[in-house]
Amino acid sequence: MNDLIRQAIAAEAEERVDSRTVLAELHKRKKKPFGLIIGVATLTVAAAAAAVIIPTTIKKTDASPAVQPVPATAQNVLLIGTDNNDYTDSLVLARFEADGSVRAVSLPRDIQVGDERLNRLFRQDPKKLTSTVEQLTSTKVDHYAVIKMSEFGRIAQLVGGVEVCVSAATVDVQTGATFPAGSQTLEGDRALQFLRQRMGLPMGDFDRIKRHQAFLAGLAAKINKDNALALAGEVGRSVRVDEGWDVLAFAQRFQGPVKIFTATLPITDPGVTPNGQGLGVDQAQAKQFVEAQFGGTAQPQDRCVN
Amino acid sequence: MGFDQFVADRLDRLLRYATAITCDKHLAQDIVQNVLMRAQHKWERIGAMDAPYLYVKRMVTNDYLSWRHRKAAREISVERSELAKHVPSMADPADAHAEREAMRARIAVLPRKQRAALVLRFYEDCSDAEIAQVLGCAESTVRSQLSRALQTLRAHELARSATLGVHS
Repeated sequence: MNDLIRQAIAAEAEERVDSRTVLAELHKRKKKPFGLIIGVATLTVAAAAAAVIIPTTIKKTDASPAVQPVPATAQNVLLIGTDNNDYTDSLVLARFEADGSVRAVSLPRDIQVGDERLNRLFRQDPKKLTSTVEQLTSTKVDHYAVIKMSEFGRIAQLVGGVEVCVSAATVDVQTGATFPAGSQTLEGDRALQFLRQRMGLPMGDFDRIKRHQAFLAGLAAKINKDNALALAGEVGRSVRVDEGWDVLAFAQRFQGPVKIFTATLPITDPGVTPNGQGLGVDQAQAKQFVEAQFGGTAQPQDRCVN
Repeated sequence: MGFDQFVADRLDRLLRYATAITCDKHLAQDIVQNVLMRAQHKWERIGAMDAPYLYVKRMVTNDYLSWRHRKAAREISVERSELAKHVPSMADPADAHAEREAMRARIAVLPRKQRAALVLRFYEDCSDAEIAQVLGCAESTVRSQLSRALQTLRAHELARSATLGVHS
């Protein structure tokens, strides 16, 4: 009977479709989902990176004539990286150009707005955060995307590690994490330690923001057509976006490696508030800064971070 | 081994394997396509393994045995069990082709996991250990799955011979 079984199974197997059909299909599919994947992954990545907020209230369009008219397809997205309690650890206002390039401005989370600290607004109401950012930066926020910072260890792993450069060896006295000087590839817990460290850095949270930016750029550099699909699948579930945002349509603009240009919103001297020291923002300066960054005239940042 | 090379070398064999375990060439095509898309994104890891083919075969098998394809598998079973009833009377029992088609129909209505074990043993010539790896179960489970499958097929075979004997 065994021979008969062999013959029967072989006859069944013989029915298979032509492998050339499958090859053609694989080839086709490889190209199609690329845009979407890159888009979602980039969002995630960007959200991961850092914190920046940008200006211009929607309501006061007539009051801000200096803002460049934007091509219909360019969109400003607020990328919000949260801790596990929905407090904002990283805030990035990013302009996604029609060609898929991204210009991002990180907003320090300790900016003081009235009686509130910027990093607490999202938890109260995402709209409160976006409208505050619009006001601070005189820039319209078209959409927002939220991701837990803790996802970035896994994301880094998915792309085979993210390369960053540290200018001098650091020690995090809180966690014991150490980073040697020079280029290094981070993933998993190491990536999270890198993104979380504030203690032991010369500029504290500002250095952390730069780390977020460096990580974001390193991550963007690692996204390609071979890992984009897997990334989108893994990461897509962990990203929340505002209702009514057609992310699929938005993602169409990404057709190749993503270029990201990062900067940090300038702040004024710390002011003392009932909640302790908060950072101040000069609205006119912020507006000018964001316009310059979004307009593509900003200075490139150092490759290595503290 | 690079991903493209792997596909060039193994795609036809994977399609044959998937068609044999699913008894549905279109479902097999879907599964193989999806699995290869997924495998491609993890290829750095899979390609470095001792036996990438075994791993990909495991992905194909898991995909088929997963809940997603339960409905599709049932529909095929129903169709094939109808076929199984008719095959003996459709052709000369002495004809080797008819014998084989009857066996094919009986294999198609086996429980999915038993059929997968059977294909791995009789088509892919896998050892118990390799089958256990692909199915993600113990070797003792592999042996019991195989022996149950063979028991069922033998019982059918006996019944069929007896029936045909009466008719002839």
